[in-house]
Amino acid sequence: MASTASTKRLSLSAWLKTITFYEILVGMKATLSHLLNYRPVTLQYPHEKRTLPDNYRGMLALLRYDDGTEKCVGCDLCEAACPSRVIRVVSAEVPGEPTKRYSKEYYMDMTRCLFCGMCVDACPVDALGMTREFEWAVYDKRQLHLNKQQLLAIGDRSFPVQEKRLELQHPNVAFFNVAFKHVPPKPD
Amino acid sequence: MTTPTAQMVRIMIDGMTVNVPKGTLVIEAARRVGVMIPHFCYHPKLKPDANCRMCLVEIEKVPKLQTACSTPVDEGMNVRTATTVVNDAHKSVLEFILANHPLDCPVCDQGGKCDLQDFSHQYTATSRFTETKRVFQKEYFSPLIETQMNRCVQCLRCVRYCDEVMDVKALAPVGRGTMTEIKHFGFHPLDCEFCGGCVQICPVGAITSRLSMYEYRPWMLKRAETICGYCGDGCQMTVQTKGQELIEVNSAHGAGRNNGDLCARGFFGFHAASHPQRLTHPLIRRHGALVQVTWEEALEYVADRVNEIKAAHGGPSFGGLISGRCTNEELYLFQKFLRMAIGTNHIDSSARYGHVNGLQAMQLVQGTHRWTVTFEDILDADVLILVGTNITETNPITGLKVKEAVKKRQATLITIESLEPVVDTMSNIANLSHHHFRIPTSDTHHAIVGLVKAVLEQNLTQPDLAQRHPTYVNAMTSALQQISWQDLQAATGIEPDAFVRAAKVAAGARRVVIMAGQLLLRSEQGYSGCLTLLDLLLLTGKLDAPGCGFAPLAEENNDQGAIEMGTVTELLPGAQPITNDTERERIAKQWKGELPTDKGASLIEMLERARVGSLKAMFIVGENPVGSLPAVIHAEASLRNLDLLVCQELFLTETAALAHVVLPAASSLEKHGTFTNTEGHVQAVRPAIEPVGDSRPDWEIFSALSILLNSPMEYAESKEILKEIRSLIPGYSSLGPTPLPPKVDHSAVDRYLTDGYQRDLASRYHPISRASRPDGTVRLELAQSLFHSGKLSTRSKGLLQVEGSGRLRISPSDAARFALSDGDRVRLSSTSGEMTTEVKIMERVPQGTAWFPSHFGQAAVQLFECAIDPITHVPSFRTATVSMMKVA
Repeated sequence: MASTASTKRLSLSAWLKTITFYEILVGMKATLSHLLNYRPVTLQYPHEKRTLPDNYRGMLALLRYDDGTEKCVGCDLCEAACPSRVIRVVSAEVPGEPTKRYSKEYYMDMTRCLFCGMCVDACPVDALGMTREFEWAVYDKRQLHLNKQQLLAIGDRSFPVQEKRLELQHPNVAFFNVAFKHVPPKPD
Repeated sequence: MTTPTAQMVRIMIDGMTVNVPKGTLVIEAARRVGVMIPHFCYHPKLKPDANCRMCLVEIEKVPKLQTACSTPVDEGMNVRTATTVVNDAHKSVLEFILANHPLDCPVCDQGGKCDLQDFSHQYTATSRFTETKRVFQKEYFSPLIETQMNRCVQCLRCVRYCDEVMDVKALAPVGRGTMTEIKHFGFHPLDCEFCGGCVQICPVGAITSRLSMYEYRPWMLKRAETICGYCGDGCQMTVQTKGQELIEVNSAHGAGRNNGDLCARGFFGFHAASHPQRLTHPLIRRHGALVQVTWEEALEYVADRVNEIKAAHGGPSFGGLISGRCTNEELYLFQKFLRMAIGTNHIDSSARYGHVNGLQAMQLVQGTHRWTVTFEDILDADVLILVGTNITETNPITGLKVKEAVKKRQATLITIESLEPVVDTMSNIANLSHHHFRIPTSDTHHAIVGLVKAVLEQNLTQPDLAQRHPTYVNAMTSALQQISWQDLQAATGIEPDAFVRAAKVAAGARRVVIMAGQLLLRSEQGYSGCLTLLDLLLLTGKLDAPGCGFAPLAEENNDQGAIEMGTVTELLPGAQPITNDTERERIAKQWKGELPTDKGASLIEMLERARVGSLKAMFIVGENPVGSLPAVIHAEASLRNLDLLVCQELFLTETAALAHVVLPAASSLEKHGTFTNTEGHVQAVRPAIEPVGDSRPDWEIFSALSILLNSPMEYAESKEILKEIRSLIPGYSSLGPTPLPPKVDHSAVDRYLTDGYQRDLASRYHPISRASRPDGTVRLELAQSLFHSGKLSTRSKGLLQVEGSGRLRISPSDAARFALSDGDRVRLSSTSGEMTTEVKIMERVPQGTAWFPSHFGQAAVQLFECAIDPITHVPSFRTATVSMMKVA
């Protein structure tokens, strides 16, 4: 019965604990000790940054060869590999270099990206790279729709060392991103 | 083709027993039990070549591996396709191929649908060769077909297809061994029929289409099986799209009536629908200019004006003209709309330009409105007679059937064509002909008469015909006696002997198919020529014999449908004459209304009535009389005279530019429906893309207008219209894989033989009076080009790259006579007008003749006179004598 319980007298120690808020002090023990002896346990993110692992999968980027030409051949395989339809490639013939393929337009909708890295795996010419950039918080989602120029710029700043462009002297390997010197100029 | 009498043999393939006809190839027998033997060079359409060595199989008791694609089966054969030996053999063949293949799959358009890619995955083959791969020097770019010879596996399918199926022979292998390269002849970009066959048949990415180059990957595409909207052959094609973009067209082997073959128009002509000039909004003329309005506004405006005019002048002051490129549903609803909602019988369609001639002749003689033969009968024919077809350019796929019949099945070909037999960049049916009568189009009729005369004089007539119908045979004999062989020889330039030889061949054969093309059907003698050809069949007893028949070829994809839907003034749906009272009552009952009983006006009469002011309003759907009729008809002045001209169009044509209201219509790639091809086969049309802009299918527009005009014809979808058509017209009930041709109506034949022939016997068989052509002139003919069909295809960027403008085609001897070379400009003038154009020398053009492609013919049609057939009212304006002069 509620009335009999409330009329039951408390023991002295319980009464003391009640009036001194002992349980609260116990609960606050860790807090109060840190109050006196301040030492951070989490990473103080904007001020200090974690050392990223070597295989860190950050922001995607398009890469260039050492002579400044884009590596991408516009094969659409990244688009096919992407599980969340981030990528859209519009490929076309390189103006002035007939039969050579390139991506005329290249879009990534980074709002949907899972950073699974399948596009990088799929790329036959290693034109895609995953940088170590991750600070891409923005106020407007539209800023995460990246076009080819933006992706190339990310690649340029993240991969200062660029791969040497293949020449046709080793044609026993696949040759689809070499200079098309064996093709005559196309008549108008 | 297997005949039922073929001996069957029983063989074992991978432990499975299969019964196949003797002579079947092992690879085909294996396919029947679901065993796919890898191959590159084998293709069911081509003769076995066994050059790729990919299809090696083990056959019991044969010491070495055999190529499955060239080994015919034999009783008791035991074939194993999946043993270690076979697998190793396949693997090493692949290894040799990969020794030179560049492995540029990521940039290759074939990637994802490539046989080599698939087999490499299947066998996990890698090449141990580390030698330098071959690199071919690329020499020429072709406008539509891209070759990348480094990828070639040298199966020679393209070369063999080009030769065996297309008979073009544009490609050839050059070089030896691995350095074999597929090249075309001549030091210039590829110049051929551009049928796209090599692109379709290439197992790898060595030959690809430049039109869709790098635009897609196979897995991105959405496919729609539909029917080509150009010529009357009715080819089934798969239109592949990416969103609203038209990417590619192809046709699977074995698909449709074309068996997977296409021509340049089908393969490369699909961009017309996505042309930037497509009309996307309704337009109304306000203060002299066409302004964009909403659909509601436009339709209400039309309805108001129609009600006003109908109240003031009555239903018969309206006329309607529709294109034979619309679907059956639209053609049907158009005539129902005009006959029921408006109350006029003035209806015509583009079938009037020629197809009506063939139809009226068939109806008169054999009582059918369709072919009594099918494409299969063409393949099985013993003798084929082509009259004025230029079949390889006008109806290329029917042409393929003729080529197959002649080349593979040893049919005898008799051609009455205005073609020189020469080897050219395009195939030429005269090259295959056994009895070729090279005759100018305007004299075609004389050659047919020559054949009939030979049949009668050599007593090649069916023996009992003279007993059953002596008056007919006697009348024919006496009519033909008036025409002497000398006159015929003078008119045609052909020895009587040649006629006799051809007539003997035709009369002696078991299966004879006569095909009449546009050059005959659209000429002044179109109707009489068809009747004379039917006479020829009748006299030799072939009209009702199995596998024999008369086949007029339609130029537009649904000319046949236009006739069967009753969109010509003299016919009701079902191609019944409007004078047939019981039929009219039956239809009126089903439509729950009254049908106008008056005899309607045909196209030319409608324009004439519009000019004098008794016709007040016209609906023109997809037709362009201003652009296609000669100046003497004064189509423009007539149409300007109308109080209301409503055009439903894809583009703002010359006619639509005169209209008061222009309504944007959807093209055949954007709607559901059916097309009836030239052999009378009804095939389904399916949309590949959404209607462009605000355009709507034509039937929806008629339906909406009918509701506003208070005689609602409401349908939820085009299938409901088809349902109504099925209840009215026999022959539309099943859309099977092969058509069931109608049988010759013997009562109609008897009627014709007793008195039907008398009506125009005298006009058909009259002594020849020959007008000589003055010096310095040529016989100008409007011709059909392989690369275009009507004017729609001139909006297709692919076809424009092959033939971008109309050039006058002249023969080399005329070029020498007028001192002309390719690209020179000439002025053509006749009493009706003049035009200036460039010339193109083509060896196939006979001397004294010049062809101008009708697709660019706006200027050329002004030179022609127009003759109107008194019976079928077909305007013929396709030949004229003009003087030619070189200009700077």
